[in-house]
Amino acid sequence: MSDITSIATIILAAITQASLQLGLGGLILLYHNSMGKHRRKTTRYLAKNYILGSCAITFLMVCTFCFLIGNFFGGSLSAEWLVVSIGIFAASGSVMWFLYYRKGKKTTELWLPKAFTNFIRKKARNTNDNVEAFSLGLLSSFAEIPFSLAIYFVVANCILNMHGWLQIVAALSYTILTVVPLLALKLKMKTGKSAIEAQKWRVKNKAFSKAFSGSSFMLLAIFVLAFWVM
Amino acid sequence: MASRKKKITYEYSSDGVKRSILRNARSAKVAPGWAKQIADRVAKEVDEWIADKEIVTEADLRKKIIKELETLSPDIAFAYKNHDKII
Repeated sequence: MSDITSIATIILAAITQASLQLGLGGLILLYHNSMGKHRRKTTRYLAKNYILGSCAITFLMVCTFCFLIGNFFGGSLSAEWLVVSIGIFAASGSVMWFLYYRKGKKTTELWLPKAFTNFIRKKARNTNDNVEAFSLGLLSSFAEIPFSLAIYFVVANCILNMHGWLQIVAALSYTILTVVPLLALKLKMKTGKSAIEAQKWRVKNKAFSKAFSGSSFMLLAIFVLAFWVM
Repeated sequence: MASRKKKITYEYSSDGVKRSILRNARSAKVAPGWAKQIADRVAKEVDEWIADKEIVTEADLRKKIIKELETLSPDIAFAYKNHDKII
Protein backbone atom coordinates (compact mmCIF):
# COMPACT_ATOMS: atom_id res chain seq x y z
CA MET A 1 0.00 0.00 0.00
CA SER A 2 1.38 3.44 -0.91
CA ASP A 3 2.35 6.05 1.66
CA ILE A 4 -0.31 8.39 0.21
CA THR A 5 -3.09 5.89 1.01
CA SER A 6 -1.70 5.44 4.52
CA ILE A 7 -1.52 9.22 5.08
CA ALA A 8 -5.10 9.67 3.81
CA THR A 9 -6.33 6.89 6.12
CA ILE A 10 -4.50 8.41 9.09
CA ILE A 11 -5.98 11.87 8.40
CA LEU A 12 -9.51 10.47 8.08
CA ALA A 13 -9.04 8.38 11.24
CA ALA A 14 -7.74 11.44 13.12
CA ILE A 15 -10.77 13.51 12.03
CA THR A 16 -13.06 10.69 13.17
CA GLN A 17 -11.40 10.46 16.56
CA ALA A 18 -11.33 14.26 16.92
CA SER A 19 -15.10 14.32 16.42
CA LEU A 20 -15.64 12.31 19.63
CA GLN A 21 -17.12 14.54 22.29
CA LEU A 22 -15.92 13.28 25.66
CA GLY A 23 -12.52 15.00 25.54
CA LEU A 24 -14.06 18.31 24.51
CA GLY A 25 -16.81 18.03 27.12
CA GLY A 26 -14.21 17.28 29.79
CA LEU A 27 -12.20 20.38 28.82
CA ILE A 28 -15.29 22.64 28.90
CA LEU A 29 -16.14 21.22 32.31
CA LEU A 30 -12.59 21.90 33.49
CA TYR A 31 -12.77 25.48 32.17
CA HIS A 32 -16.17 26.03 33.77
CA ASN A 33 -15.07 24.82 37.19
CA SER A 34 -11.60 26.30 37.12
CA MET A 35 -12.63 29.77 35.95
CA GLY A 36 -15.08 29.92 38.82
CA LYS A 37 -12.40 29.49 41.45
CA HIS A 38 -8.95 30.15 39.97
CA ARG A 39 -7.10 32.99 38.33
CA ARG A 40 -7.06 32.99 34.52
CA LYS A 41 -3.40 32.02 34.41
CA THR A 42 -4.01 28.92 36.53
CA THR A 43 -6.94 27.92 34.31
CA ARG A 44 -4.72 28.34 31.24
CA TYR A 45 -2.10 26.01 32.72
CA LEU A 46 -4.73 23.46 33.73
CA ALA A 47 -6.18 23.45 30.19
CA LYS A 48 -2.69 23.10 28.71
CA ASN A 49 -1.97 20.11 30.90
CA TYR A 50 -5.35 18.56 30.11
CA ILE A 51 -4.51 18.77 26.39
CA LEU A 52 -1.02 17.38 27.02
CA GLY A 53 -2.58 14.45 28.89
CA SER A 54 -4.89 13.81 25.97
CA CYS A 55 -1.92 13.93 23.56
CA ALA A 56 0.14 11.61 25.75
CA ILE A 57 -2.49 8.87 25.94
CA THR A 58 -3.23 9.08 22.20
CA PHE A 59 0.45 8.82 21.28
CA LEU A 60 0.99 5.98 23.76
CA MET A 61 -2.04 4.09 22.46
CA VAL A 62 -0.83 4.42 18.86
CA CYS A 63 2.63 3.17 19.87
CA THR A 64 1.09 0.30 21.86
CA PHE A 65 -1.01 -0.83 18.92
CA CYS A 66 2.02 -0.55 16.60
CA PHE A 67 3.88 -2.81 19.03
CA LEU A 68 0.96 -5.27 19.21
CA ILE A 69 0.56 -5.47 15.44
CA GLY A 70 4.32 -5.71 14.96
CA ASN A 71 4.69 -8.57 17.41
CA PHE A 72 1.41 -10.48 17.35
CA PHE A 73 -0.01 -9.86 13.88
CA GLY A 74 3.17 -10.26 11.85
CA GLY A 75 3.68 -6.54 11.16
CA SER A 76 0.45 -6.00 9.25
CA LEU A 77 -3.24 -6.69 9.84
CA SER A 78 -4.78 -9.42 7.72
CA ALA A 79 -7.89 -8.74 5.62
CA GLU A 80 -10.02 -10.55 8.24
CA TRP A 81 -8.94 -8.18 11.02
CA LEU A 82 -9.51 -5.19 8.79
CA VAL A 83 -13.02 -6.45 8.05
CA VAL A 84 -13.62 -6.75 11.81
CA SER A 85 -12.45 -3.13 12.18
CA ILE A 86 -14.80 -2.06 9.37
CA GLY A 87 -17.66 -3.77 11.20
CA ILE A 88 -16.79 -1.89 14.38
CA PHE A 89 -16.63 1.42 12.44
CA ALA A 90 -20.06 0.78 10.94
CA ALA A 91 -21.48 -0.09 14.37
CA SER A 92 -19.84 2.98 15.95
CA GLY A 93 -21.23 5.17 13.16
CA SER A 94 -24.75 3.87 13.83
CA VAL A 95 -24.32 4.40 17.59
CA MET A 96 -23.17 7.97 16.90
CA TRP A 97 -26.20 8.71 14.78
CA PHE A 98 -28.79 7.26 17.11
CA LEU A 99 -27.47 6.77 20.65
CA TYR A 100 -24.42 8.93 21.35
CA TYR A 101 -26.24 11.71 23.21
CA ARG A 102 -28.84 11.27 25.91
CA LYS A 103 -32.26 12.60 24.99
CA GLY A 104 -33.02 16.15 26.07
CA LYS A 105 -33.02 19.45 24.25
CA LYS A 106 -30.49 21.53 26.15
CA THR A 107 -28.02 18.84 27.09
CA THR A 108 -24.91 17.31 25.59
CA GLU A 109 -24.85 14.41 28.04
CA LEU A 110 -23.30 11.36 26.45
CA TRP A 111 -24.65 7.84 26.60
CA LEU A 112 -22.07 6.71 29.15
CA PRO A 113 -22.59 4.99 32.51
CA LYS A 114 -23.78 7.60 35.02
CA ALA A 115 -21.22 6.52 37.61
CA PHE A 116 -18.46 7.18 35.13
CA THR A 117 -19.64 10.65 34.05
CA ASN A 118 -20.15 11.55 37.70
CA PHE A 119 -16.57 10.49 38.37
CA ILE A 120 -15.24 12.75 35.58
CA ARG A 121 -17.46 15.64 36.74
CA LYS A 122 -16.23 15.26 40.30
CA LYS A 123 -12.63 15.05 39.16
CA ALA A 124 -13.02 18.15 36.95
CA ARG A 125 -14.56 20.03 39.89
CA ASN A 126 -11.66 19.10 42.17
CA THR A 127 -8.84 19.64 39.70
CA ASN A 128 -6.56 22.23 41.22
CA ASP A 129 -3.09 21.43 39.93
CA ASN A 130 -1.38 20.55 36.69
CA VAL A 131 -0.86 16.86 37.46
CA GLU A 132 -4.57 16.40 38.16
CA ALA A 133 -5.43 18.22 34.92
CA PHE A 134 -2.97 16.00 33.03
CA SER A 135 -4.55 12.86 34.48
CA LEU A 136 -8.04 14.16 33.70
CA GLY A 137 -6.95 14.59 30.06
CA LEU A 138 -5.57 11.04 30.07
CA LEU A 139 -8.74 9.67 31.59
CA SER A 140 -11.16 11.50 29.27
CA SER A 141 -9.33 10.36 26.16
CA PHE A 142 -8.92 6.84 27.48
CA ALA A 143 -12.65 6.66 28.21
CA GLU A 144 -13.32 7.02 24.49
CA ILE A 145 -11.67 3.65 23.95
CA PRO A 146 -14.87 1.74 22.99
CA PHE A 147 -15.04 4.00 19.92
CA SER A 148 -11.35 4.58 19.31
CA LEU A 149 -10.06 1.01 19.73
CA ALA A 150 -10.66 0.01 16.11
CA ILE A 151 -9.34 3.39 14.94
CA TYR A 152 -6.04 2.77 16.78
CA PHE A 153 -5.79 -0.66 15.14
CA VAL A 154 -6.20 0.75 11.64
CA VAL A 155 -3.92 3.75 12.29
CA ALA A 156 -1.17 1.53 13.72
CA ASN A 157 -1.48 -0.72 10.69
CA CYS A 158 -1.10 2.30 8.37
CA ILE A 159 1.89 3.60 10.32
CA LEU A 160 3.64 0.22 10.12
CA ASN A 161 3.07 0.22 6.35
CA MET A 162 4.99 3.48 6.01
CA HIS A 163 8.71 3.89 5.49
CA GLY A 164 11.33 4.73 8.13
CA TRP A 165 11.13 8.22 9.62
CA LEU A 166 7.62 8.74 8.19
CA GLN A 167 6.32 6.39 10.90
CA ILE A 168 7.20 8.70 13.79
CA VAL A 169 5.99 11.77 11.84
CA ALA A 170 2.68 10.00 11.15
CA ALA A 171 2.21 9.01 14.81
CA LEU A 172 2.93 12.56 15.97
CA SER A 173 0.73 14.14 13.28
CA TYR A 174 -2.12 11.80 14.18
CA THR A 175 -1.78 12.77 17.85
CA ILE A 176 -1.84 16.49 17.06
CA LEU A 177 -4.79 16.19 14.67
CA THR A 178 -6.90 14.39 17.29
CA VAL A 179 -6.54 17.31 19.73
CA VAL A 180 -7.35 20.06 17.21
CA PRO A 181 -10.85 20.62 18.70
CA LEU A 182 -9.28 21.01 22.16
CA LEU A 183 -6.70 23.46 20.80
CA ALA A 184 -9.46 25.38 19.00
CA LEU A 185 -11.42 25.64 22.25
CA LYS A 186 -8.31 26.83 24.09
CA LEU A 187 -7.75 29.47 21.42
CA LYS A 188 -11.39 30.61 21.66
CA MET A 189 -11.03 30.93 25.44
CA LYS A 190 -7.87 32.95 24.96
CA THR A 191 -9.72 35.37 22.68
CA GLY A 192 -12.31 36.13 25.35
CA LYS A 193 -15.05 33.53 24.89
CA SER A 194 -16.44 31.79 27.96
CA ALA A 195 -16.99 28.12 28.73
CA ILE A 196 -20.73 28.85 28.75
CA GLU A 197 -20.62 30.20 25.20
CA ALA A 198 -18.69 27.12 24.08
CA GLN A 199 -21.27 24.87 25.74
CA LYS A 200 -24.12 26.83 24.14
CA TRP A 201 -22.45 26.31 20.76
CA ARG A 202 -22.23 22.57 21.45
CA VAL A 203 -25.89 22.38 22.40
CA LYS A 204 -26.94 24.37 19.32
CA ASN A 205 -24.86 22.19 16.98
CA LYS A 206 -25.52 18.86 18.65
CA ALA A 207 -27.28 17.40 15.62
CA PHE A 208 -24.43 18.50 13.36
CA SER A 209 -21.71 16.99 15.56
CA LYS A 210 -23.71 13.76 15.83
CA ALA A 211 -24.11 13.56 12.05
CA PHE A 212 -20.47 14.50 11.51
CA SER A 213 -19.15 11.81 13.88
CA GLY A 214 -21.44 9.12 12.50
CA SER A 215 -20.62 10.00 8.90
CA SER A 216 -16.87 10.08 9.64
CA PHE A 217 -17.03 6.55 11.01
CA MET A 218 -19.01 5.35 7.99
CA LEU A 219 -16.63 7.10 5.60
CA LEU A 220 -13.65 5.54 7.36
CA ALA A 221 -15.29 2.11 7.05
CA ILE A 222 -15.82 2.61 3.31
CA PHE A 223 -12.30 3.99 2.84
CA VAL A 224 -10.63 1.07 4.61
CA LEU A 225 -12.81 -1.38 2.69
CA ALA A 226 -11.99 0.22 -0.64
CA PHE A 227 -8.26 0.83 -0.20
CA TRP A 228 -7.10 -1.82 2.27
CA VAL A 229 -9.33 -4.83 1.81
CA MET A 230 -10.45 -4.91 -1.84
CA MET B 1 -33.83 -4.68 49.43
CA ALA B 2 -33.67 -1.58 47.27
CA SER B 3 -31.02 0.92 48.31
CA ARG B 4 -32.17 4.40 49.31
CA LYS B 5 -30.29 7.64 48.98
CA LYS B 6 -29.55 9.19 52.35
CA LYS B 7 -31.35 12.50 52.74
CA ILE B 8 -29.13 15.30 53.95
CA THR B 9 -30.52 18.50 55.41
CA TYR B 10 -28.52 21.66 55.93
CA GLU B 11 -29.19 25.24 56.85
CA TYR B 12 -29.85 27.72 54.06
CA SER B 13 -27.10 30.27 53.60
CA SER B 14 -27.56 33.51 51.71
CA ASP B 15 -23.78 33.81 51.37
CA GLY B 16 -23.68 30.32 49.87
CA VAL B 17 -26.12 31.41 47.15
CA LYS B 18 -24.03 34.52 46.45
CA ARG B 19 -20.80 32.52 46.28
CA SER B 20 -22.33 30.00 43.92
CA ILE B 21 -23.68 32.74 41.62
CA LEU B 22 -20.34 34.55 41.61
CA ARG B 23 -18.55 31.30 40.72
CA ASN B 24 -20.85 30.73 37.76
CA ALA B 25 -20.58 34.41 36.79
CA ARG B 26 -16.79 34.18 36.61
CA SER B 27 -17.10 31.14 34.36
CA ALA B 28 -19.55 33.05 32.14
CA LYS B 29 -17.09 35.99 32.07
CA VAL B 30 -19.62 38.45 33.46
CA ALA B 31 -18.06 41.73 34.63
CA PRO B 32 -17.24 41.45 38.39
CA GLY B 33 -19.24 44.55 39.43
CA TRP B 34 -22.36 43.44 37.58
CA ALA B 35 -21.92 39.87 38.87
CA LYS B 36 -21.86 41.15 42.46
CA GLN B 37 -25.03 43.16 41.88
CA ILE B 38 -26.75 40.12 40.38
CA ALA B 39 -25.65 37.91 43.27
CA ASP B 40 -26.94 40.45 45.83
CA ARG B 41 -30.30 40.89 44.08
CA VAL B 42 -30.89 37.16 43.63
CA ALA B 43 -29.85 36.37 47.21
CA LYS B 44 -32.27 39.06 48.46
CA GLU B 45 -35.15 37.60 46.42
CA VAL B 46 -34.36 34.08 47.60
CA ASP B 47 -34.11 35.25 51.23
CA GLU B 48 -37.62 36.74 50.98
CA TRP B 49 -38.98 33.65 49.25
CA ILE B 50 -37.51 31.25 51.79
CA ALA B 51 -38.38 33.30 54.91
CA ASP B 52 -41.82 31.75 55.47
CA LYS B 53 -40.76 28.20 54.66
CA GLU B 54 -39.61 25.67 57.20
CA ILE B 55 -37.96 23.29 54.75
CA VAL B 56 -37.30 23.37 50.99
CA THR B 57 -35.68 20.89 48.65
CA GLU B 58 -32.45 21.73 46.88
CA ALA B 59 -34.24 21.34 43.55
CA ASP B 60 -36.81 24.00 44.51
CA LEU B 61 -34.06 26.32 45.69
CA ARG B 62 -32.18 25.88 42.42
CA LYS B 63 -35.38 26.49 40.43
CA LYS B 64 -36.00 29.74 42.30
CA ILE B 65 -32.40 30.91 41.76
CA ILE B 66 -32.55 30.04 38.05
CA LYS B 67 -35.88 31.87 37.68
CA GLU B 68 -34.37 35.01 39.17
CA LEU B 69 -31.18 34.69 37.14
CA GLU B 70 -32.98 34.25 33.84
CA THR B 71 -34.15 37.85 33.84
CA LEU B 72 -30.85 39.28 35.09
CA SER B 73 -28.28 37.20 33.20
CA PRO B 74 -29.30 34.35 30.88
CA ASP B 75 -25.65 33.21 30.67
CA ILE B 76 -25.33 32.64 34.42
CA ALA B 77 -28.77 31.00 34.44
CA PHE B 78 -27.61 28.66 31.67
CA ALA B 79 -24.46 27.81 33.61
CA TYR B 80 -26.46 27.21 36.78
CA LYS B 81 -28.98 25.03 34.99
CA ASN B 82 -26.67 23.00 32.78
CA HIS B 83 -23.40 22.58 34.66
CA ASP B 84 -24.16 18.88 35.19
CA LYS B 85 -25.28 18.28 31.61
CA ILE B 86 -22.00 18.92 29.78
CA ILE B 87 -20.90 15.29 29.50
